[in-house]
Amino acid sequence: MLLIACPWCGERDELEFHYGGQAHVAYPADPEGLSDAEWGEYLFVRDNPKGPFAERWSHAAGCRRWFNVVRHTVTHQILASQSNHPVAAGQPKPVIA
Amino acid sequence: MTADTQRRSPLGHLADVLAAHSTGGERGVRLREVPFLAQLDLQLHPHGPAAERIATALGSPLPTEPNTVTEPGSLQVVWLGPQEWLVLGPDGSGSATAELLRAALTDEPGSVVDVSANRTTLELSGPAARQVLEKGCSLDLHPRAFGPGRCAQTLLGKVQVILHQVDAEPTYRLLVRGSFAQYLTDWLLDAMEEYRHPRLTP
Amino acid sequence: MSHQLPEHPDWLWRTPDPKRSYDVIIVGAGGHGLATAYYLARNHGITNVAVLERGWLAGGNMARNTTIIRSNYLCEESAALYEHALKLWEVLPQELEYDFLFSQRGVLNLAHTLQDVREGTRRVNANRLGGVDAEWLDADQVRAFCPIVNTSPDVRYPVLGATLQPRAGIAKHDHVAWALARKADQYGVDLIQGCEVTGFLREGDRVVGVRTSRGPISAGRVALAAAGHSSVLADLAGLRLPVQSHPLQALVSELLEPVHPTVVMSNHVHVYVSQAHKGELVMGAGVDSYNGYGQRGSFHQIEHQMAAALELFPIFARAHVLRTWGGIVDVTPDASPIIGPTPIENLYLNCGWGTGGFKATPASGWVYAHTIATGEPHPLNAPFALERFTTGALIDEHGAAAVAH
Repeated sequence: MLLIACPWCGERDELEFHYGGQAHVAYPADPEGLSDAEWGEYLFVRDNPKGPFAERWSHAAGCRRWFNVVRHTVTHQILASQSNHPVAAGQPKPVIA
Repeated sequence: MTADTQRRSPLGHLADVLAAHSTGGERGVRLREVPFLAQLDLQLHPHGPAAERIATALGSPLPTEPNTVTEPGSLQVVWLGPQEWLVLGPDGSGSATAELLRAALTDEPGSVVDVSANRTTLELSGPAARQVLEKGCSLDLHPRAFGPGRCAQTLLGKVQVILHQVDAEPTYRLLVRGSFAQYLTDWLLDAMEEYRHPRLTP
Repeated sequence: MSHQLPEHPDWLWRTPDPKRSYDVIIVGAGGHGLATAYYLARNHGITNVAVLERGWLAGGNMARNTTIIRSNYLCEESAALYEHALKLWEVLPQELEYDFLFSQRGVLNLAHTLQDVREGTRRVNANRLGGVDAEWLDADQVRAFCPIVNTSPDVRYPVLGATLQPRAGIAKHDHVAWALARKADQYGVDLIQGCEVTGFLREGDRVVGVRTSRGPISAGRVALAAAGHSSVLADLAGLRLPVQSHPLQALVSELLEPVHPTVVMSNHVHVYVSQAHKGELVMGAGVDSYNGYGQRGSFHQIEHQMAAALELFPIFARAHVLRTWGGIVDVTPDASPIIGPTPIENLYLNCGWGTGGFKATPASGWVYAHTIATGEPHPLNAPFALERFTTGALIDEHGAAAVAH
């Protein structure tokens, strides 16, 4: 069972979260300009590392915000957790009591 | 009003059962439904001018510390997310509060939506109330970590709830979706069962 | 008085040192790697073959699955492949001269909703058209076939009916691996355990061998059969795969008297359970949503699995969990495997089986051996090429694949 730190609500049981796969996958800037191979790559291919993995989680049963986590895929240790929510930019980090 | 005579709360048919299962004493625990609370979902930028106007209108700023509740007047403002709150009020207060909030929001990005029909409220109180919740909730509800004025959206049993601690007795309020209310009530009644009997001592 | 140990039984295969060069190197000595080696020798006369295994033989998903064998998949491409496997399962004990306890006790796929009923009857019809044995049972027939299933109408998810594939069943997984290993070894295949592939030897765009923890080994062709670790190996070759690796768990009870005559699967309640020959109830849990190589998953999956099993089988209420374990399941976007050549010359790929790997073992080896030997896919695995994620010709088996996808 993972204990995941929501950047807003604090550490919560894994059951409260929804998994979103690899983080930082940008929508293609010019989808019309992609070849079939490039579009297939965007649609179907994601990193699958054995080791640290930057991934997205949503606090589905809580504040419903998406955020990024770096987790080791063998030990399951969570190495970093941060919010990428626009409201958080430039604002003090939420105090997690 | 027609609506008032016809409306039914999700747990209205269980009022007697809840009362019968509630117990007093030093390990007592009580459960009741608090039906028909006005509930408004409020979304806006937490640090913009609209938030300031709403703070003025309510007489109290919106809570921006996660998992906390403020109580301006007869209302309770529950933090749901960095730009989302649930504004609770007495039965029938929804329209007036919504007008107040919409007037303060003006045309800034945001929304005020009446979600009163979405959830009903269970109130669990008494010296054993925390122990009952701890049977199915992974949060640390000990006073060192949780207390009056704190809230959390979490899972109880398998059900998503908004948990709000009202006072130190402790009294908790659980907001639960109507279709899950019966299941959660069954779960709570089962969890409360042991406190109807004397503590077993060696 | 001396206590003499009994003589060690005969080894089923040799423990050779790796040669400097092979015609074919297979990476991964699980079921698929061993079956591929066996059929390379048997069907194509290619015996200068090494199977390299990082750990020990058949210690990955081959040792961790729930041993269900069936071929009642929806799409004709999948049904053809899995049916080929089932036909091979039916002859393999004799051919391999090893009774690995293949038991055709039937598999029920329960339906609990009208949608399940529609999907199930559609699949029965599709299977029959494709030459796969399939029947539709109503709730009374389910009760007659498997009396311990709770077919009471007043449960949360009442059983409305089920598909039945009578020829489906289970086998003893480790015996299957040993049987294939022994025959492959007899053909001259080198099975080399404790030999981890750490890189690929390249000449231009071609792969000409592998680097291993026991030194470089050159090869005419290199064939990956590494299941959950396929992405890691492909990454060493500079190839990104449409595969994600997830934890998938299973559990067994203590040994019980025979109570469960068949295999029962329920996508809706999320159960798949059979009773092994020794007597354990074997149950598969759900796949964890997140990627993981740790060969363990989250406890709530086990809890959920047992709750679901009790819903369907009240008789299990007093059984105890004897042990739980996890494997690394490699999942593709369409829940179908990838078998075929890669963009890199002389490098072949077999992965993405999700929960279908064990049941496909012989057919996977058969078609993969054909692909490696001839350089061209067998008609049965041609639709399962890597290119389908570019062309869009997906084989979507999310409905029939298993509960865990």
